[in-house]
Amino acid sequence: MKKVRDIRKPNITIDMTPMVDVIMLLLTFFMLTATFKAAESEAVEVALPQSIYSDPDNKMKETDVMTLSLTKEGDIFVDVDNYKIREKIFGDQFALGLYHPDSTSQSTVMQTGKVGEKEIKRKVVVMNKAQFEKALVDLKNSLRGMTGNKQAAFQVVVKGDKDVPYGVFEDLMTSLHESDNKIFSLVTMIKSDSKKE
Amino acid sequence: MAGGGFDAPEVAQGKGSKHKKKGAGVRIDMTPMVDVIMLLLTFFMLTTTLSAPQLMKVSLPKGDVKDKVKVDMGNVLYVRVSDKGNVYFAQGRSDGSESEMKKVDIKNVSSELEKIYAVNNNLLLLLKFDRKMKYNVMSDVFDEISRAKIERRYAFLKMEDADLQKIMAAGG
Repeated sequence: MKKVRDIRKPNITIDMTPMVDVIMLLLTFFMLTATFKAAESEAVEVALPQSIYSDPDNKMKETDVMTLSLTKEGDIFVDVDNYKIREKIFGDQFALGLYHPDSTSQSTVMQTGKVGEKEIKRKVVVMNKAQFEKALVDLKNSLRGMTGNKQAAFQVVVKGDKDVPYGVFEDLMTSLHESDNKIFSLVTMIKSDSKKE
Repeated sequence: MAGGGFDAPEVAQGKGSKHKKKGAGVRIDMTPMVDVIMLLLTFFMLTTTLSAPQLMKVSLPKGDVKDKVKVDMGNVLYVRVSDKGNVYFAQGRSDGSESEMKKVDIKNVSSELEKIYAVNNNLLLLLKFDRKMKYNVMSDVFDEISRAKIERRYAFLKMEDADLQKIMAAGG
């Protein structure tokens, strides 16, 4: 009996087909849902607040997005996803605009070269209120000039750090209003509704 | 490996019987394919960001910043938020005064709003946030307002000294 078993053992094969099927499905799922972030768009990282409300009609556009990042330190970084426009307005393909609305303090970014813990690798253009508002208008105008569409506008998204004082956002709203960007969106991370469960 | 990979030939009919006998034992080794697929799967799983960011739309009033808009003060609801993140509601009256401030838990803002709007459907929310307040309190309040099943009309106003005094009197 023992001898027979010894001969049979090497013949046992595990059928991998179901496993391969499942893995294939997973792979397809992840491949289709993957959205790749350009490394440069992560120049400024903020801890986004959470929200429950989700607006199905309001999604982030793929192109022509203007990102306004509010860092914990009270700096506003302005970035667009079009390198040609960046070069035209900020003078460098990878430059970022920086506006520090609080006149009583100074932005520490230029001294330390860091945003939070992270070193900023892109060129930073520091602006005051008037320059910032002019830049917001110029960005929009150069998009219109480039596309030839007079109605073209950036989708303005505000990525605020959850710990930034509201005053920074209030100043940003004033500048957005002045520069005729009256509709914008706050970026948040989705949170499940614990109250309704 | 005597006869290891060969299945017992099945009873076949007709011409193809000889071919089938030979072909029945051919096994494709799937291991390399599975390896590659596994690698791809790991790659995509690690690079995807599943929690897509949400967008909350904010609209500022049309017209210039300095434009004055006349509103019926009897149709406004003041929403004041202190630097500590406490939310206070106060309803305006036509003569320019307002009702006593009522403290509202931030989690109940949307249900409280729905209650008030059930009485008066035509209210304008005047949002006054303290400049020192944290941004996520504002996004929470805005989230609550967005979720309330009301017709949303709102305006962001500056927190004045008078508002601060009212908040101080109500407990900060």
